[in-house]
Amino acid sequence: MLTPLPSSKWDYDAAGHLLVRAGFGGSQAEIQDLADRGIQPSIEKLLNSVPTEPTPPTWAYPNSLKDLVDQIRSSTTPEEKVKARQAFNQANRAQMEELVQWWTQQMTDTNAPLLEKMTLFWHGHFATSATKVRPAYKMWLQNQTLRTHALGNFGALTKAVSRDPAMLVWLDLASSRKERPNENFARELMELFTLGEGNYTENDIKESAKAFTGYRINQVDQQFRFVANQFDPSIKVFMKMAGPWNGDQIIDIIFEQPQCAKFIVAKVWEFFVYDDPDASLVDALAAKFRQAHYEIGPLLCTIFSSEEFYSDRAKGAIIKSPIQYLVQARRSLGVYTPTGRAFVNIYRQLGQVPFYPPNVKGWDGGKSWINTGTLTYRYQIARALVNGIRPEQVGLPRLPQKSTTSPNQGTPEQSVIASMPANLDAGSPGPAATPFPPLTSPWPVEKYVNSEDRKDVKRLLGKLYIQIFQSSPQSDLLKNFIEVASNKTLPLDDGSIRDLVTLMMTTPNYQVS
Amino acid sequence: MSQEPDVVTRRDFLRTSVLGAALSWTVPVFIERTFSALNAEAAESSLQVATGKDHPILVVLQLAGGNDGLNSVVPYVDDAYYRARPTIGIAKDKVINLSGHIGFNPALAPFKALFDEGHLALLQGVGYPNPNRSHFRSTEIWQTASDSSKIIRTGWLGRYFDNCCSGEGATAGVALGGQLPQAFTSENPTGITLNPGSRLGFAKETDASEQALFNQLNGIDHDTVSGASIGELSGPNGSGMTAVEYLQRTALDAQIGTDKIAEVLRRVKPETTYPKTQLGNSLSLISRLIAGGLPTRVYYASQGGYDTHNAQENSHNRLLGDLANAVSAFCRDLKSKGIFDRVMTITFSEFGRRVAENASKGTDHGTAAPMFISGGAIKPGIYGRSPSLEQLDAGDLIYNVDFRSVYTTILNQWLKAPASKVLGHDFGSLAFV
Repeated sequence: MLTPLPSSKWDYDAAGHLLVRAGFGGSQAEIQDLADRGIQPSIEKLLNSVPTEPTPPTWAYPNSLKDLVDQIRSSTTPEEKVKARQAFNQANRAQMEELVQWWTQQMTDTNAPLLEKMTLFWHGHFATSATKVRPAYKMWLQNQTLRTHALGNFGALTKAVSRDPAMLVWLDLASSRKERPNENFARELMELFTLGEGNYTENDIKESAKAFTGYRINQVDQQFRFVANQFDPSIKVFMKMAGPWNGDQIIDIIFEQPQCAKFIVAKVWEFFVYDDPDASLVDALAAKFRQAHYEIGPLLCTIFSSEEFYSDRAKGAIIKSPIQYLVQARRSLGVYTPTGRAFVNIYRQLGQVPFYPPNVKGWDGGKSWINTGTLTYRYQIARALVNGIRPEQVGLPRLPQKSTTSPNQGTPEQSVIASMPANLDAGSPGPAATPFPPLTSPWPVEKYVNSEDRKDVKRLLGKLYIQIFQSSPQSDLLKNFIEVASNKTLPLDDGSIRDLVTLMMTTPNYQVS
Repeated sequence: MSQEPDVVTRRDFLRTSVLGAALSWTVPVFIERTFSALNAEAAESSLQVATGKDHPILVVLQLAGGNDGLNSVVPYVDDAYYRARPTIGIAKDKVINLSGHIGFNPALAPFKALFDEGHLALLQGVGYPNPNRSHFRSTEIWQTASDSSKIIRTGWLGRYFDNCCSGEGATAGVALGGQLPQAFTSENPTGITLNPGSRLGFAKETDASEQALFNQLNGIDHDTVSGASIGELSGPNGSGMTAVEYLQRTALDAQIGTDKIAEVLRRVKPETTYPKTQLGNSLSLISRLIAGGLPTRVYYASQGGYDTHNAQENSHNRLLGDLANAVSAFCRDLKSKGIFDRVMTITFSEFGRRVAENASKGTDHGTAAPMFISGGAIKPGIYGRSPSLEQLDAGDLIYNVDFRSVYTTILNQWLKAPASKVLGHDFGSLAFV
């Protein structure tokens, strides 16, 4: 099943499939470049691209919110304390909004998309949420750690995560005491990170929790600090082996279990290829992964080289995550997204906010991305991305026009609610056109469409199709789009072209890869 | 069991139109499959279709943020209450007496009227073991009915849909306010959200052919399915559906659900007796949908703002007043429409607040709290015990009613659903139904 794809089957569509799945898609030129290189050089390029160092957010240094923390500490009255706390929360929230933006930008701009894609995989795997972890610096630090090891060694990554300050807070290791070890991390380490349920005992959890004691955060530099006198050096019996194990040794023992490789390769396969791989495939892949000492690069190389990765079963089998949806729309189509709160709100409505997984299990993915609410929003936001996003579409108040302020406008929540039944009552298809300015520019038609395209519907739609669906046109689907467009007046104006792009994006086919 | 006439029509329509025509790629594959499944079921004469006319309805109101139970239902004869809350305690002479031991916050006066009329049950001391004080996590626990140490993906209402509402379509659950609550998360996707301007569609009417193609590609061609959710006709969600088929089905559910709702709202006009608040609007809308015969089992709405860490008196009273006025208007409206006996409305909040007020004249995250249950056919009264203010767990109330026994009661007695299957464990029942 893991037989390599014959080079004769490597073509533009295979290259597009690889770039979408192993990254976030790209321009026609980028896909063509991979198609021309051949399969192995393409995979190597993805695996070995050295990322240009991104500029970190300005606040990404230890204790950038120190002043605000000090203010909370030095507050003398309760009122002061409340105020100081609010100020801290506000500043931290602003940092988190910037971080969401920063990472999305990184995924969009990077010349090493697989590295970002795999960082995203590990974020979902070692799911840690900023709802509990503060300040934002810790989340940034974890993101760096995941990126550092994303294509490296799974064992080294797991050890690094066990020392990661955000994880220490998230699963309570930082407050685990020798006298009463907190079992939260030990449990998830086995259940969610390495082995899966049913492959360890409750006693294994209790014993290994003792080994992960003494893990602390240095509040000055926000780094991991081992506190020897908080460590429990006693003999632990873990997976039937007795010894004075420390945390790293526990991880080493876990990695000797064949189940560990099976567990993780199945999850990687589902992330990149399709759901429910056959047991024989998982076994074969796991055996290779163990032989390669849990090196992630060779594992991905095997997957991306395999015929199965390009099979009919794999094509169209994955529903794009909201992150994939937005980043791919930016990378391949060049649409603009807003910043700050508005951007986080889009992610939230779509059902996935980076740095805020729903719980320690991470995002379920697959069909769970789509329900009537999220799908409706996907279609609304598609139109908005193409035409420019208006504030009320992303949960922000409409900005009042310069000269007039409307006294009856109320809060955004009120106006939203007030408009809801009215819209449905009237059976109107959507919110009425608004005079308020959009937050983003519309998709720049002229950058992608020339005057020849405007006069030739077939030519235009062929071009748009390749760009939007990242593959050469499926003739029956394209035919439908051409039919619709042929009713329009030539040469096609920007509005008509934006409508066609929106139409393509509001299809089930666009939601999958 | 009688079947709704338009379902028969629809089925006939599908039989003649869809299967009669040559199947091409333009007919979503799942319709074809669904139809086969339907035929098999119909042959067994076991197909039941919700008529939307007589089944019991549950309305769930989420009081988001953690409602301060002690200032809602006040233990006003207990000095410990006033010791713990010297500035924000509700004065004895203002409390509306209920039992001689506890009484309502004056803002809940409309609840007292409902209580006296026999339409309100008060559940005291509701919570769960090893309470979690994070909004996020505790809400998740209430929504999924999990133990506090376990994470479950599906919601308690979602599992009810899975077990009892297959074949009823997505409108078995309707949530107001944008996002589907986690309580609706199910294996077999069910539930519609009502967003502002949320009608799924190409959302621009300049070009009919674009709209037609949109409908076609999304499998929501109205001529083909004529007003019925395919979910109503389908058996359990085929996990064998491809991603695209799944998307088509969801698009269809969204479109038809919202169209059905719009149709009902055109027919049933709003009453003017509701408070002009988000909650009032929500309940007014729900009343119209029920009256209009939408075959919905569970409605879900929420009221936010209960996270009253500081200077809580005014804001908390305003919230309670809004809640009581809106629910009371809802009950009157349902009564006048003759459907009060079919509707049960419950409130829940992720947790109560700590017993002692904090230094900012507010309260911090706590544990057990009351639930309010109203309806024409409920058994009124006070259930559960008011938690002791002396025996505390680290300053917090100790629950005596597990919220899952409330769910059990609602599932078994009201929705006639197998609670043990939905909740996975027998949590016992209360007598409010």
